[in-house]
Amino acid sequence: MIYGDKNTGILVQGATGKQGEFHIGLMNAYAKQVGGKGVVAGVTPGKGGQQVHGVPVYNTVKDAMKVHDIGAAVIFVPAGAAADAIMEEANAGITTIVCITEHIPVQDTMKAIAYARIEGASVIGPNCPGLLSPGEVKMGIMPAGLFSSGNVGVISRSGTLTYEVVDELTRAGIGQSTVVGIGGDPVIGQTFVDVLARFGKDSQTKAVVLIGEVGGNLEEEGALSTDLPIVSYIAGVSAPPDKRMGHAGAIVEGGEGDARSKIARLKKHGVPVASRVSEIPEMVRELFRCRC
Amino acid sequence: MKLREYEAKNLLKMAGIPVPAGFLIRSADELAPHLGDLGDAFVLKAQVDVGGRGKAGGILMAGKADGTKLAKELFGKQIKGLPVKEILAEQKLDIKHEYYLSITVDRSNRQPLIIFTGAGGVEIEITAKEHPELIRKVVANPLMRDLPPFMIRELIGTAPKEIGPVINKLYHIFIEKDALLAEINPLVTTPDGIFAADAKIIVDDNALGRQGFTVNRDLSEREREAEKHGFSYVELDGKIGVIGNGAGLTMATLDLIEFYGGKAANFLDVGGGAESERVMNAVRLVASVPTVKVIVVNLLGGITKCDEVAKGIIAANISQKVIVRLAGTNEAEGRRLLSEKGYEMLDTMDLVVRKAVEVTA
Repeated sequence: MIYGDKNTGILVQGATGKQGEFHIGLMNAYAKQVGGKGVVAGVTPGKGGQQVHGVPVYNTVKDAMKVHDIGAAVIFVPAGAAADAIMEEANAGITTIVCITEHIPVQDTMKAIAYARIEGASVIGPNCPGLLSPGEVKMGIMPAGLFSSGNVGVISRSGTLTYEVVDELTRAGIGQSTVVGIGGDPVIGQTFVDVLARFGKDSQTKAVVLIGEVGGNLEEEGALSTDLPIVSYIAGVSAPPDKRMGHAGAIVEGGEGDARSKIARLKKHGVPVASRVSEIPEMVRELFRCRC
Repeated sequence: MKLREYEAKNLLKMAGIPVPAGFLIRSADELAPHLGDLGDAFVLKAQVDVGGRGKAGGILMAGKADGTKLAKELFGKQIKGLPVKEILAEQKLDIKHEYYLSITVDRSNRQPLIIFTGAGGVEIEITAKEHPELIRKVVANPLMRDLPPFMIRELIGTAPKEIGPVINKLYHIFIEKDALLAEINPLVTTPDGIFAADAKIIVDDNALGRQGFTVNRDLSEREREAEKHGFSYVELDGKIGVIGNGAGLTMATLDLIEFYGGKAANFLDVGGGAESERVMNAVRLVASVPTVKVIVVNLLGGITKCDEVAKGIIAANISQKVIVRLAGTNEAEGRRLLSEKGYEMLDTMDLVVRKAVEVTA
């Protein structure tokens, strides 16, 4: 496991909103299934004293921290309030902060991440589905039914594409150690480099599937930073330049960050790159065969 | 969204960065009153939302005598297919030296990256390749309001000291105006001092509202229509319409079409929790593109209700063929509804895409 396990108490910021309420229900259903702590507290300013699915709601993160043992937070608040939520949690001493919220202006994200760094917190996202360690913990919105426990880590800038890959892996009998959606924005807290460093120290993880897309060069940086065997897939081979492909960060700009040059650089570094999602399971098997 | 040159220069001017004397005109007749202020030689610059306008004939050198005639010509032109509705008539500078200054978002450091070089006026990518030693870079802390003086010294080196305040002022614009890019190229020295001869500012699409913009001009009409429905939409030029949920999955669907030798007509990310009405709107929008012969719907998600999606596809009632891949809850009911109406539903994205490519081949 990386970032948390069964014993990690989770706080949900934006607990009384539609998304927050819905996903507290799903996260705690998963926690119940695996015997974990799950969501122990919610925070919505002004709604302290209420309950959501039996989870007590507090006005501030510090109020919740006084009562509960909290190791991670998941944010569902609207874009205008999300950077503030990240900073409040970091300031209160939460070390793993998952920000699901989409459409946060980049200037806000940069400030919140810089502040979280000073406070010693790791931010996953924003604009991400969170993470899931099968059999241990779910922080975010990933559909747990597709996952199975095993020794392959998955890191992705995407949501549903990650589920597609996880579904393919599970059907092929390849279980996952932890699946992390790092987010589709240009500025994100934990990058491929950071998550790979955690996987490198995780005894359960033997190989990693790295799912990238157009925009920036974080995939290549990640692949260069680790000794773990990797299989990669890069979405957006057919993406035209200067167009945002759904994600704020998925854009080929100034001739940089296009899929073909990413794939070429990954291959040059010895990383096998799948040209279709359905090829990934066989390529992962091939990795393990090479290792034997 | 990319600002037009005159909008970017207005921001610079308000921040105290000198820009050449210039006037925005919307017809050739509007030039005459400004001729006295523009001097003997000036520049007419078409304000169109495309790059490379200089090479496309969008920038003309003019003088008092031929100014109005040239402006009329420029208003009659199309620059890369776009009509010229606004021209910036601008004083011609007596340039001694050109510098390059830009501030971007550094994804690796998650902080603003400031780049300065004495080799301005040309494309920065070319300088970076041929003379990387001439490029100076610093990474700023976004929590600081001003750049510390040492960073500015590191950036400008032996270049004129008056450039220092320009860098700090551009940094303020970058932070306060929610820019993803703030670039002055070239920043020039003249006998009359320093000027930002050209400027490019890209404003974060997620901050357009708070920056007072009501419309994202980078989007086409249909892309704006899609935005109203909450869809991410990009127009391409193939025959296969694509609807997916999630940016990555939709991109992967496009790539798969290319893999099998087909060509996508569009990218449409319908977003999460697709209900029947959303799906109907998405299908109708894609079907309204004249070149679309077939539509691939590829939806995956634990919470997507397949019967809702099926109802949306049926309600859209379009003439083109729709091929569907759905995974989620109520899959059997969705399949029943679709097959009842004669729609095709296949199990994997490989299968739907192959089918669509076959149909359009």
